[in-house]
Amino acid sequence: MVRLLNRNWWKYAGIALVFYTIIAGFLIEAPKLDILNESIRNLFFHVAIWFAMFILLILSLVYSIKYLNNSKRVNDILASEFARIGIVFGLIGISTGSMWARFTWGAWWVNDPKLNATSIALLIYLAYIVLRSSIENEEQKGRISAVYNIFAFAALIPLVFILPRLTDSLHPGNGGNPGFSSYDLDNRLRMVFYPAVLAWSAMGLWLSSHRIRLKLLNEKINELEQH
Amino acid sequence: MKKFLFLILILLSLNLSAQVDNQSQSVQDKDVPTMADKMRESGKIYVVVGVVAILFTGFMVYLITTDRKIKKLEREMDDVEEKLNRK
Amino acid sequence: MLLKQIITLISKEIVIELRQKYAISGMILYLISSIFVVYMALNIKNASLNPIIWNAIFWIIILFTAANSIAKSFIQESNDLLLYYYTISSPVAIILSKMIYNVLLMAVLILLGLPIYSIVLGNPVLDFWVFGISMLLGACGFATSFTMISGIASKASNSSTMMAILGFPVILPMLLLILKISKNAIDGLSISASSDEIITLVAIIVIAITSSVILFPYLWRSS
Repeated sequence: MVRLLNRNWWKYAGIALVFYTIIAGFLIEAPKLDILNESIRNLFFHVAIWFAMFILLILSLVYSIKYLNNSKRVNDILASEFARIGIVFGLIGISTGSMWARFTWGAWWVNDPKLNATSIALLIYLAYIVLRSSIENEEQKGRISAVYNIFAFAALIPLVFILPRLTDSLHPGNGGNPGFSSYDLDNRLRMVFYPAVLAWSAMGLWLSSHRIRLKLLNEKINELEQH
Repeated sequence: MKKFLFLILILLSLNLSAQVDNQSQSVQDKDVPTMADKMRESGKIYVVVGVVAILFTGFMVYLITTDRKIKKLEREMDDVEEKLNRK
Repeated sequence: MLLKQIITLISKEIVIELRQKYAISGMILYLISSIFVVYMALNIKNASLNPIIWNAIFWIIILFTAANSIAKSFIQESNDLLLYYYTISSPVAIILSKMIYNVLLMAVLILLGLPIYSIVLGNPVLDFWVFGISMLLGACGFATSFTMISGIASKASNSSTMMAILGFPVILPMLLLILKISKNAIDGLSISASSDEIITLVAIIVIAITSSVILFPYLWRSS
């Protein structure tokens, strides 16, 4: 993974995809829908950023598991940095969603299971960051926070996937509303949406890669200073 | 910084929906939901795209510059390591 | 072998508790005090309490009592004692025994809490069997999650605050389900109306127990 983060090809591809998302996102013909009007284009920003956040948090989980397996410092750094950028994307997702909600549903915040689930997820990952900062020993820090990461993720899964189906909600895909797949009937939106997910994920990876590489450099400096 | 750029982006997309609100109040006999067609006809949509593209260009420049700086640091680190190992 | 270890550990916890009694009495006092604080704060004269609020406040009081009482599972044990336990039994036995003990503890606290709460604030529950199920599942859910969280928090400095910070987000899904089931019980709906929630809640508890048993050995590896 670290070697992948050092390569450049996906970064340039990411830049191209972001520009494609922006230009195509505003210029393509959007389906004409009530209430949403033009703001369906937010699909390429708000929803795509959620997907990117999910990818980052899953990466964080994977590296937490790897750290428990082999205790390599690198895995711990990867886990924590992906979680951090995941939190940033989560906050962006919530604020973009909130703004979208204000103009379509009429309120900045509603009592909706998806919103509740994501707030809880953000609280869990913020608690993860606080937990990391409260342990001194590096090895313990990595191990304990990895355990919490995995445990909290396991506790979160039912919330994110099962509960929204049980209750009513304004969110597309829950409580009787059709999932957003019914909005892009002729795949026009899909053509911009999937590249958008890749674009924002690439940006998330790029931002994490900076922090990760800097942390690895710090580790090397500490190592060399000990000689 | 990044959040500020995103905020600007969001405010721009607000513009689009705000336009729609005004139109939907005056044009009530159409049964098709109003879209930003006027904006597209008058070519203003390209202003929106242009502004957002400029913002993201700035953002990309920041990312690329930081990336280069980190690469430089990493190369220096490798040099230092080599020198120390040779001793 | 494992079962024998677990039973021994549970009986040890119960014996210690019955001998010293200050922990359990402290928890009961915490429960009663919180109920009274809420009662005073609400200042209901003759009008009865809105069932939704009754339900929510009851479970919030139980939540805070659980967080406080289960915190002592790992946080208040001395390091030497913990080391001794780790050498004589497997980590799976330790975590399972603490969980089962905490389930019993929570069951006692909830069964004590409900009558006292009903005396001061009334009892609008119509279907007591479904409410009983929600109490039982609540005891299991709080105990299993908080025991694991207590184990994690005990390794951090500032343990008691970490217990709340780490624990509350994780417990929220369970809490939402428990509230839904209790509310259905208060409204008198039959058990089939809550079946979805009950199944999901049991699933979450099973997930919590499984992940705790898998992860706990990594936690105690070095202290």
